[in-house]
Parts: sequence; structure tokens; C-alpha cells
Amino acid sequence: MNMYLHELKSLRKSTIIWTLAIIAVAALYLSLYPGIMSDAEGFKKLLGAYPKAVREGLGIQLESITQLLGFYTMVMAFATLLGAIQAMNIGVSIISKEIRERTADFLLVKPVSRNSIVTSKLLAALTMILITNVFYNVAAFIIASLVKKSDFSIKSFLMINATLFFVQIIFLAIGIFISVIIPKIKSVLPISLGIVFAFYLIGAILVTSKDDVTRFISPFKYFDISYIIKNSSYEAPYMITGAVIVIVAIVLSYIIYAKRDIHAVN
Amino acid sequence: MNVIEIKNLTKSYGTARGIIDVSMDVEEGEVFGFIGPNGAGKSTAIRTLLGLIYPTSGSAKIFGKSCTLFPEVRKDVGYLPSEVFYYDNMRVIDLLRYSASFYKKDCTKRINELAYAMDLDLKKKIDDLSFGNKKKVGIVQGLLHEPKLIILDEPTSGLDPLMQQKFFELIAQENKKGATVFFSSHILSEVQKMCSRVAFIKEGKLIKLEKMSTLQENNYKRLKIETKSALLKEQLNLKGISKLEIKGNIADFIYKGNINSIMKKLTEIELSNISIDEPDLEEIFMHYYAKED
Repeated sequence: MNMYLHELKSLRKSTIIWTLAIIAVAALYLSLYPGIMSDAEGFKKLLGAYPKAVREGLGIQLESITQLLGFYTMVMAFATLLGAIQAMNIGVSIISKEIRERTADFLLVKPVSRNSIVTSKLLAALTMILITNVFYNVAAFIIASLVKKSDFSIKSFLMINATLFFVQIIFLAIGIFISVIIPKIKSVLPISLGIVFAFYLIGAILVTSKDDVTRFISPFKYFDISYIIKNSSYEAPYMITGAVIVIVAIVLSYIIYAKRDIHAVN
Repeated sequence: MNVIEIKNLTKSYGTARGIIDVSMDVEEGEVFGFIGPNGAGKSTAIRTLLGLIYPTSGSAKIFGKSCTLFPEVRKDVGYLPSEVFYYDNMRVIDLLRYSASFYKKDCTKRINELAYAMDLDLKKKIDDLSFGNKKKVGIVQGLLHEPKLIILDEPTSGLDPLMQQKFFELIAQENKKGATVFFSSHILSEVQKMCSRVAFIKEGKLIKLEKMSTLQENNYKRLKIETKSALLKEQLNLKGISKLEIKGNIADFIYKGNINSIMKKLTEIELSNISIDEPDLEEIFMHYYAKED
């Protein structure tokens, strides 16, 4: 419990900043919605001029862009990207920081097992991501209600928002896994940014159709929002893939970290 | 009872040398010195003992249990690493409280006592502390739960002489109360003062484990002789003589063995002067460390 609280405290500041940033991006985009609605046809034409790949990459669906949830797809593309960076940052840093900041000699000689250290850190990371999502959901709902022109399905809205959480959990797990296989991580941000953008670009460039196997490569493509709106459900194969990635990454992280040699600082 | 049991411990880092087949026991209540030059494997042995690194073969146990299998045995261990690093954005008192929270007992009084003894400001941020003051935090942190085993890895680096003095007093007090002390160092004089037994490690191998008293007993003598005529190396070819240096008619050496043998040998030589001293540990130590040629 003491370790969990300690980790929460150390994550507090960055969580506040990331949460505000994600909400700000959503607010900025949603605030454009009323303006766009007033010239819906012109806007569709403008977006239609973009190549299809660019539109896909930005999460733009021409046919539904003028509906709030359709427009919201585009908002989510950015919110998810930011959220993925946040989760990856936490994942890459939370275990590796004891070595980077040379505090491993303090923590790892305490009468606690390596597994309980990982568990505390994992729970703290999950808590912070959950908090980010709760605040995001509340803020996004309020803003959406303010800008809406007609009612939208709250169930679909929440299901769309939940994809932020799922993507974050996947990236958190990948981040933790990476942090236990790289012996010493000098700086977190370049690694987390690099990996997240790599997945993002792979998703945007390689994935050309909805039932393409390349969708499995990028977690950003596991959740097709237009599918969620249409069917009020997630696509099982991708949901399962995501879950498998999370479970495998976390289990391996426990095993690798428990067996790892913690070398003296020099 | 043995507090520390190290059996045939080997740790290899690929091609680099770690430690090779080290065995030793530390008994309850003793102050045990662990001596070796930098890079000899002292820290490797300590880190294996604490469960920070895994042995390649052999075992290292504390209170009869391995730290990796039974992490809870570390509740009775206080460890002071050679270099201390803590969470920079915390205040000293917060760090110490965090440290204490792992031991399931109230350490507040103890923290205050130790901080007072070490003249440490608890309200400061760790960020703002000098190296020496961080070291003090490390000392308080290592002792605040009144551990039964204190493991010190080059503890005095960065402490001024006055603080070193206080530190040794603290350790001596803890030892008097029953704590076992395992003390690694490359500075012999500080080990000499405190330890009851001492182990020498060199290039990853334990080369000698002896009682301090034995080490300082008569079997080691530093001799300096002056002769009337020029000395020849052959005149001093006696088993037990080492570090022999002859300059004209002056010879300097360390002798280990029966004192009568060397006296008999010396009577064969026409002396003009002689001095016999107790060698300090440094010299005995160098004797072990000198590469065999």
C-alpha cells in the first residue's frame, strides 16, 4: 500500500497535465462543431478533396461527419493519440525510473518482493489512467452536450470513449514490457513518442480497409468507431488481440523483472 | 548462529569477471570486514547477498534464507550503499517515513535520534543536499528500523572525518546492542579499528579469511636491517620473507613465520642496525594483493 501511494503521488502532476491536455484537444475540436454544422455541405466538399488515406488517418468519415458522433470520431483520433503517449510514458518510466534515478538500491532491498513492487506500480498506473478517463468522459460529455444540434446516443458515446481507455491499457502494457527488456533507459519521452508514433503511422499508412489483417499491427486500429456507432459493439477479434497483448506483456514483465540483476550505479 | 552464509558463490557477467567460488560465514554479533581493491567483487558479493543480483551458482543467505526467495528476511537488514540516491523531489523526512513504512513499526523516535546524532536537517529537500548530507540520509535510512544485520558498502566516502567518527560510534553502538555488521571497504585503517574478522577478496576470489587478532599477531613483522658490508639477496633466502627490498647495505622486508627462524638467519649476518615493527594491515594487505611474480 505504501508503494502504491508513493507511486500515485509521483504520478499526480503528470496525470493532471495529460488529462487537461486531452480534454483541451477534445474541447477545441468540439467547439468547431457548431460552425461546421452551419456549412455542412461546404465542409464535406472540403474534406472530400483530401486523399482518402489522409481522411482515414485523421478518423474522418465523410458520410457521418456532420452528425455529432461522426464528428467525434475525428476528436477521438487525437484524444487517443495523446492518451497513448501518456500511457506509454507511464509504462516505460514507472519501473525503469528506479534504475534511471538510481533509487533501486533503496527500494529493492526493502522487505518486499519484486512482484509486489511491480503490482504496486501497475495498480498506480492503472489508477491514474482510470482517473484520466473518468475526467475525460465527464468533460467530453459536458462539452458534447453544449455543442450538440440534436440528441446523440449516450451509450455509443460512452462506448467510443471507452476505446481511449482500452488503447491506453494496451500501450501501458507495451511500455512496461519495453522498460523491463531494455537494461537502462536514459530518457523516457523519445522512446515512448517514437513507439507511439510508429504505431500510429503504421496504422495510418498500412491499413487501407476495414477487414485488413494489417489492422492487427497497430492498436490504434483495433477500435473502428464507425463500427461501434453502427453496431453498438466492439469487434471481437481485435478486442481479444488487445487483451492478449496486455496479458502477455504484463505476465512477461513480471517474470523478466523478478529475474533481473540490478547492477550498481556507476 | 551464522547471520550470513555464502557458499561457493559465483557470479559471472559474460566474459567479465564477477566473483568466483566465494565462501564465508559471518557470525551473529560480530563486525566483519570485507576488504579488497575497487573492482575486486565486493559489491557483487553484497548485491547477491541482498538479492539485487542473482548468483550464477552457489548461494548467499541471510538469517539462513535467500533474499530472492524470502524477501521478507530483509526486514532485519539495514543497507548503506557506497553511493546514495533518493527520490529528489521528496523532503528528507518524507523519504525516511517512506523507508520506515516498509518495516511495520514506529520509527519516528529513532529517526529523530539518528538525525540529531548525524546533524541532519529533516525538512530539507533531498535535491538541495550536498553529497555528504545525502550520505547522512543514507545512514539514517539504513539504521532507522534497528536492523539486526547492517551491511555497509564503502560507507565512509563523502563523509568528513568528524562525521566518520560519529558514524563509527553509531555502528559500534548498534553492534553493542547485538547487531551484526558486515563492512566492505578498501580503506584498511577503518576496518582495522572495528572488525573482529576480516576477509580479503582479490580479482573475484576470496584469498584469506582471518581473525583480526591473528592478522595483527606476531607472525607478521616488518624488519629493516643494516649491515656493515653490502647485502646479497641469497643471504635472506628464508621461507616467509616477502617484499624484500635491498638497497646497498639496507634491507627491508616483511616476515611471516616462526620468529626464531628469522632470528637464527639474521645471526649469520653481521648487522649494524635492526628495527622490527608491527606491520599495519595495509602492508599485510598489500602482501596479499601483490601480484605473484
